[in-house]
Amino acid sequence: MATREAGKKMIMLKSPDGMEFEVEEAVAMESQTIRKMIEDDCADTAILIPNINSKILSRVIEYCNKHVPTTGATGAAASDTVAPAALAEDLKIWDAEFIKVNRATRFNLIQAASYLNIKGLLDLTSQTTIDTISDNSLEEIRSFLSTKNDYLPEEEQTIRRENQWAFQ
Amino acid sequence: MSRPHPLPTAAPPLEDENLLSEILLRLPPQPSSLPRASLVSNRWRRIASDPGFFRRFRRHHRPNPPLLGFFDMYGCRSFVPTLEAPDRVPPGRFSLQRGDDDWFRPLGSRHGLVLILNRPTNQLLVWDPVTGDKHWIAVPPGFGCDSDSPIGGAVLRSAVDDHHFLVALVSTTETQDHTRAIASAYLSETNTWSDIISTPLPPASESRFQLQAQDLPPFECPTMISCNIPAVLVGDSLYWWLRDSSYNILQFDLDRDSLAVIPAPVDLYDSDINFSVMRADDGGLGFLFVSKFSVQLWKTKVICDCFNSWVLGRTIEMDKLFLLDSKVRESPMIVGFAEENNVALMWTEGSLFMFQLESLQLKKLVETRISFYQPFESVYTAETSIGGGHDGADILHST
Repeated sequence: MATREAGKKMIMLKSPDGMEFEVEEAVAMESQTIRKMIEDDCADTAILIPNINSKILSRVIEYCNKHVPTTGATGAAASDTVAPAALAEDLKIWDAEFIKVNRATRFNLIQAASYLNIKGLLDLTSQTTIDTISDNSLEEIRSFLSTKNDYLPEEEQTIRRENQWAFQ
Repeated sequence: MSRPHPLPTAAPPLEDENLLSEILLRLPPQPSSLPRASLVSNRWRRIASDPGFFRRFRRHHRPNPPLLGFFDMYGCRSFVPTLEAPDRVPPGRFSLQRGDDDWFRPLGSRHGLVLILNRPTNQLLVWDPVTGDKHWIAVPPGFGCDSDSPIGGAVLRSAVDDHHFLVALVSTTETQDHTRAIASAYLSETNTWSDIISTPLPPASESRFQLQAQDLPPFECPTMISCNIPAVLVGDSLYWWLRDSSYNILQFDLDRDSLAVIPAPVDLYDSDINFSVMRADDGGLGFLFVSKFSVQLWKTKVICDCFNSWVLGRTIEMDKLFLLDSKVRESPMIVGFAEENNVALMWTEGSLFMFQLESLQLKKLVETRISFYQPFESVYTAETSIGGGHDGADILHST
């Protein structure tokens, strides 16, 4: 199987802390934001990715590398030999490992996925956050997310009363 | 996605409303999700009660809407909830005001919308029971109420822009020597009905009816749409049952704007309604048939994009499930089918049961007399009197 680099167009991504990452164009185009820049010809030399530090950017690139479709000239061999279901299962396991990060990193990844418009990564990071909190009590959710309860007691009572069925 | 993607800011994502709403979109689609999330803080409530967020939430969960319950088509109970607390939405949340002269008959429900025919005014009502929005449309010429032929109908939200919807109508019309099925579709986006298309129907068999009525002169009951069983959407096609000598299936392909008649895989002559169209596990047209306490699941063989033949897939024995639950002895009838959740609603011996065809779970819902039911599969949001509210931007507006 040919290596990814052979005959592939590469582009440079720069983080605000000065790190540069050379990535395959197809990998970078997993980000719809970068895809648009490339398609609009705004990306001749290097693309500066604002507010995403090198640590997070490298994780994002790692994600895109794994998720770039393996179809096409070089990837045909891979998709011929591996069943799509097995490939999807492999990605699921890989994702589950990838997202085992601390809360701060996960929140940074959500920001990066949103700005770069990478749907799969946004789904993964947001869904993991929701899954973490969904079985917890209100107090636990507030404390886990460092969110302050800014309701007046009577407002909280009103909401509970109006939708009493949802709090049974 | 056409929404703008703002530059990432230094604020943690949960302080950034755009990102917080992105995360909250992934809350489970169960009805209690948004009311409970609203209690976390004012910011969370603002997002959860924002009409734009609700539309995105509905779109996000479109492939897996919860089955909130069933509307009774004949009104002995208005709404039968299927979920347990805390997701059991009180039936009173889905009540529809009607005038003294109105005679509402629900035709179908899908994507959180209910289609209702009001015979006295010859109008169709598209109703969103969650937001209360209503949109009235005149029944097009050709489907007039002066005709005795029953009308079948279905509603779908637009896949592209869920402000908009499509209404499909089918009926039958008598020509000199045979009966034809007719169909037309309405798009809210253009506020127009498509040209009526039609297809000839197999003749109603005289002999079979004569067998039942030997002392009566021969008569022929015209083929018509069976109104008790709402259409099921499979792929781009809607499927209704035809009431003729047996039951045949009428296919309205919305993509190709065409009609076709497909035979049922088993002879349903003189059958109680113990069958339904469904989505097969391969995504194609399927058929569910209950004989005594045995459930047969059929799928179709398709050649060159056309129906070719039926193939029997799984058979499920339900007798043990029923016996565990009660002293049921009579074979159940299918009185409703929820296409997204793959749930058959069954009635036997004075009780309603729901049967999930993948988990094979059988659950008794309520004791009631027999009726037919429309499934209501939708996400649900509850408004609070503290702020929030809908912006009225939907085409579905109160009129």
